[in-house]
Amino acid sequence: MISIANVTKQYKGSVKPALDNVSLEIEKGEFVFLVGASGSGKSSLMRLMLREDIPSKGSVHVLGENLVGIPSRRVPYFRRKLGVVFQDFRLLTNKTVAQNVAFSLEVIGKSQGFIQEAVPDVLRLVGLEGKENRLPTELSGGEQQRVALARAIVNKPSILLADEPTGNLDPTTSQEIMALIERINLAGTTVIMATHDRNIVDRLQKRVVELNGGVIIRDQQGAGYQKAQTGANQIVEGGFFN
Amino acid sequence: MRAGFILKEIGQGLSRNASMVVSVILVTFISLTFVGAASLLQLQIGQMKNYWYDRAQVAVYMCTDVSPSEPCPQGEASADLKAAVEERLKSPTLQAYIEKFYFENHDQAYQTFQDQFEGNAVAKYVTPEQLNETFWVNLKDATKSQIITESFSGVAGVEEVRDQRTYLDQIFSILNAASIAAIAIASLMLVSAALLISTTIRLSAFSRRRELGIMRLVGASNFYIQLPFILEGVVAATIGSILAGGAVIAIVQFFVQGYLAQQLPFTSFVGLADGLLVVPILVGAGVLLSAVASGLAIRRYLKI
Repeated sequence: MISIANVTKQYKGSVKPALDNVSLEIEKGEFVFLVGASGSGKSSLMRLMLREDIPSKGSVHVLGENLVGIPSRRVPYFRRKLGVVFQDFRLLTNKTVAQNVAFSLEVIGKSQGFIQEAVPDVLRLVGLEGKENRLPTELSGGEQQRVALARAIVNKPSILLADEPTGNLDPTTSQEIMALIERINLAGTTVIMATHDRNIVDRLQKRVVELNGGVIIRDQQGAGYQKAQTGANQIVEGGFFN
Repeated sequence: MRAGFILKEIGQGLSRNASMVVSVILVTFISLTFVGAASLLQLQIGQMKNYWYDRAQVAVYMCTDVSPSEPCPQGEASADLKAAVEERLKSPTLQAYIEKFYFENHDQAYQTFQDQFEGNAVAKYVTPEQLNETFWVNLKDATKSQIITESFSGVAGVEEVRDQRTYLDQIFSILNAASIAAIAIASLMLVSAALLISTTIRLSAFSRRRELGIMRLVGASNFYIQLPFILEGVVAATIGSILAGGAVIAIVQFFVQGYLAQQLPFTSFVGLADGLLVVPILVGAGVLLSAVASGLAIRRYLKI
């Protein structure tokens, strides 16, 4: 589903690479937390999966597409198979909840009939029934993130990329959002979530990939935010494929 | 592709930076008006060339008593010399090029001179004897005047051979310079129009960067993202070029036909048909220029 092999990403003007010979394989339906300090390479890794960037070295395959060689005119069609949410929600403040979700379908040329069916469905799914005509500014942070999630999944993506989706939310709201993301995952969508939220990672006990200085220092199933001190954890570094 | 969505986007873009759009309209309007005026001037020059070259004659001036002694050592050309020239003009070699010729004697030349310089002080002092007797030659092909010039230069009794086109060419070269100047100004203004369009489009894209970011994220195709911006530039420039077209028609109708043609009744001027020929060229140039300028601007701004 996602296969990253020996990827190095060197940004112009910086000495140290943002990602240094990183390899990672993610299967269909998995739930993966990306953890690590700021600047550890989480965001760079997600940008590569979205084809916002291409690696300096190595290969990135997502949903059968070789993202290093993909012609730029096919990138939009690739991105339609992915959903993305961010810490800052990225909603259009001049559009209502329903219009925000509908916009993402309009711009990929979906029919009005499809939009009229899909938008209320997905808003019900994320628990925003009855708030279709509110503006984002009239909503709480948690509700805004629900709108963003609705927009991300309305086109039924195979993969959901979430970049610190609970970063701006209080613990209770964060839990509600996580419950929603878990439901999305249970419905078959692969979820990759970058986070700093220790509680969430510890509670969910999913696969955890920890980055430090552009290197994967831990890739562990059913783990917590920090490496357990028992030493029993499976540590895979770099040579995941070897 | 949903036209309603695209139209809505264009409308929003145009209203969001209305002042820039107005400046794009004005700059394309002015620059294309210059282009139109220059094209009209070129058409006018072409028309006048056709008109006057047909009428331009080659003059074979015969010697008079007051001619300088260098070409005319014998003074007034005698009847024999005139007959020799006429004989030569009638020869088969020259007849092939000549449509017709006629002889103008001193009295006729004097009459013509008096008509042309009526009211001018010089008309009082000139006498028939001072004016050359002349063979006026109309050529089949006005560009072949060289043949006559070469045949009669240095012939006894001939003071000078003069192609009237040399006078016309001076006038045309002045008009030509004017139209080249207009084109130069127009091209400078078109460059600034193109830069203004690309700045406007970039500004418009900047003010919509949130939407654009989301569009890219959810996988809107490049075409879908770029089209509203390109059309935005095209709409503004089209309005400007239609205004320029209107200005060109107005110039032809009210200035050329309404004023110049009245003032100079014996000259043929460009008409409405010529004006209508120029308008689609202006609109086409405006659309092309703005499409290229805004297309390049948005392509450089929006990397996928």
